[in-house]
Amino acid sequence: MTLLRIGLKLQRTGLVAMTAIGVAAGVLNALAFVAVAGASQAERLAFAHSMEILGTELSYMLPIPDHLDTLAGYLQWRALGVLVLIFGIWAVISATGGGRGDEERGLVEQWLAAGASRARYIATRVLVFTLVATVAIAATMLLTYVAGTSSGEPLPVAAMASAGVNLLITTLACFGIGLVIAQLVTTRRAAGFGAAGAVLVLFLITGASRTSDIGPIRWISPFYLYERSKPLTTDGALEPGPVIALVVGAFVLIALAVAAFVRRDLGGTALPRTSRTARPTTTPSRDPLLRIPVVALLRQQWLWVLTWTIGLAAVSAFLASIVKTVIDTLTTSATPIMRAYFERAGLVGYDSFVGAIWLSSVMLILCAYAIVQVQSWSADDAEGRLAAVLSAPVSRARVVVERLAALLVAAGVVCAAAGAAVYWVASSQSLGIDGSRLALATGLLVTIPFAFAAIGQLLAVWRPRTALVLLSAIAVVSYFIVQFVPLFDWPEWVANLSLFSLYGMPMSGEVNWSGIAGLIGVGVVGTIGALFAVQRRDVGA
Amino acid sequence: MAGDAVETSGLTKDYGNGRGIFDLELRVPVGEVFGFLGPNGAGKTTTIRLLMGLIHATRGSAGIFGLDSDRDAVAVKRTVGYCPGELPQFGGWRGSEIVAYVAGLRGDVKDAAITALATRLDLDLGRKYREYSHGNKQKLALVLAFMHQPRLVILDEPTTGLDPLVQQEFYAIVRDARAAGSTIFVSSHVLSEVEHICDRVGIVREGRLVTVSKLGDLVGMRAFHVEIEFADGVPAEQLKTVRGLEQLRVEGRRASGILRGSFEPLMTALIGRRVIGLVSREPSLEEIFLTYYEAKR
Repeated sequence: MTLLRIGLKLQRTGLVAMTAIGVAAGVLNALAFVAVAGASQAERLAFAHSMEILGTELSYMLPIPDHLDTLAGYLQWRALGVLVLIFGIWAVISATGGGRGDEERGLVEQWLAAGASRARYIATRVLVFTLVATVAIAATMLLTYVAGTSSGEPLPVAAMASAGVNLLITTLACFGIGLVIAQLVTTRRAAGFGAAGAVLVLFLITGASRTSDIGPIRWISPFYLYERSKPLTTDGALEPGPVIALVVGAFVLIALAVAAFVRRDLGGTALPRTSRTARPTTTPSRDPLLRIPVVALLRQQWLWVLTWTIGLAAVSAFLASIVKTVIDTLTTSATPIMRAYFERAGLVGYDSFVGAIWLSSVMLILCAYAIVQVQSWSADDAEGRLAAVLSAPVSRARVVVERLAALLVAAGVVCAAAGAAVYWVASSQSLGIDGSRLALATGLLVTIPFAFAAIGQLLAVWRPRTALVLLSAIAVVSYFIVQFVPLFDWPEWVANLSLFSLYGMPMSGEVNWSGIAGLIGVGVVGTIGALFAVQRRDVGA
Repeated sequence: MAGDAVETSGLTKDYGNGRGIFDLELRVPVGEVFGFLGPNGAGKTTTIRLLMGLIHATRGSAGIFGLDSDRDAVAVKRTVGYCPGELPQFGGWRGSEIVAYVAGLRGDVKDAAITALATRLDLDLGRKYREYSHGNKQKLALVLAFMHQPRLVILDEPTTGLDPLVQQEFYAIVRDARAAGSTIFVSSHVLSEVEHICDRVGIVREGRLVTVSKLGDLVGMRAFHVEIEFADGVPAEQLKTVRGLEQLRVEGRRASGILRGSFEPLMTALIGRRVIGLVSREPSLEEIFLTYYEAKR
């Protein structure tokens, strides 16, 4: 019971955050549908037709839409189609935290020394995650049901329950993936990065399988199996084969992880490793980069920055490669209403669609990059590295400024590579992209991680233990504002509360200089706040 | 004031519930090796973190070579080397990268000094930090503290995890640093450890400085916990007369107590007795405090 209580305590932040995200996604999408889909059958059908065209072209990200003239169909596509990835990412973060992070912090050693068996420890962590995931998903489905029903769009109870079960077993399969990968590496960072990468690859495989035949490989993706069932549009029916495959897959993965954990050394990997026979040395590293301010921070994370650069460039190239197909299809098949909508939104050429598809995705990824950096800054304090740095003749202000400078340089490199990839693909497809406008839009992208990182820096200095949660909450709220302002026709000032909105759409119209100034202002204010806060706080407190 | 390496005036850090350090008045002259003794939780690390400017005082002040530890933190750290009690986690960095990075932050470190220290402490800088044992991590912390040949070295329980041979080398390093003109401020909870290296000792207990004495003045404090097992029953009345033997307890055929001063009176009392076993160990500082201050009261 003690292990169970400790496990639940360690998971409570994730439980609260995921319940909030799940409920927000479900409830707001339900309310949005009621607000914009129209009341008559004809209006609903027109809405469904337009959204299905759009949805088909967004199939690299979302499931193929179906029954969009009903709230159930809309939720299946728009809410659950996204939530499965978000819950999947949460699952791998939790799995790598329980499977490697606690070990890195020495907690597992303590628990095992206290008499808990390895099997019992890992089984308890699995049980705890299953419990919290069940609670988060149940709350999501329940409150979404309440929102739909209270808006006059009753949802079938059994179908909601089936959808929740489908989401839960997919989440557990992702947890199993994370747990297995945690046994193969020796650090939480490597485990988290590897598991999140694996889940994203599986998600992309599913995306590719929606529009083309990629062969039997699609069956390895839990997201593909998840999408075989559409309980909200089939009166709650689940496809038995894929459901059984998901359950068995989750069970096998978790069992493999348990077996590996029981057999391997604590702090070691389940993979066989050859012992290193390097000659001992007593000389410091000759690498001059380690001794130059800012550069030293980049040198320490060069592999990390390189991975982000290559990853974002690859995603950017992919997104740019689908623009031509999307636009050509839309302009030939869209309804007059959709065409008018695109024109009003300034989406009239390849340039503007590159902006809409590429920039909106890249903004989110850069925000994630900033959040990851902020997490490492918080860890610097908790794990004594900040105290070690401040034991040298280094001012606290310098630490803040250096961190931000290193982040901006890294973000600049990542953005430049992404912009270059888009330009290269666009040129090869003769999209006629305006290079100078693309360069400007790419350069301005750096303001996004700057604003998030500056707020995060302030939070990391002020409340390092909660900085990650608070910054993630700001990012999620910003994202939801962008999504729901046009649907609910909220006023402009609400839109401007979102950091993503402030960036604007520089590829499809005039640059929103006031918004960019707002982002820079947020960054400057956050930095100044962090500079003040860092002077006042006790290091390691 | 310029003659003092460390000076505190009414230094207080109040964490509430009686935790922290209170009204600390302390002076450590330049060139001295000063031991800061106290049981766990007495306030040693809090004091050291205040001296390093890592935390802010609730009231009072701390000065290093006449500079304020808080206001002049950067200038202070140019003159100070620091070994923390809780070692930082550098993850996958190699030892060689860590020392190069910190040397870069300092800017006044000779590679030869790093190599000399690593050699003396038998530390392989080529390995990753996470692969280091606790003792090797402690050695690395000592290299970082001494590598720039600071005027003041502040060490928070520096021998934790070091084996006896390396401890001896550490004592030699401290003596060499002192000979070169450095001041050493070292915290510990083991009396015998500070006896090796310190000129004076300050004792802190429950957040308050109890005494500051020269090492010789603390001889009366030196004590051993002794446990004797007899084959034929404990000669309790005889043991009660042994000079320096306090807190005598008898359980079956075992007798135990705290022996202060020489062992000779006890050994004399045991002549002719069938002793099966005799174990003596240094008592914890808390045990010493309890007996020492109760005896003085």
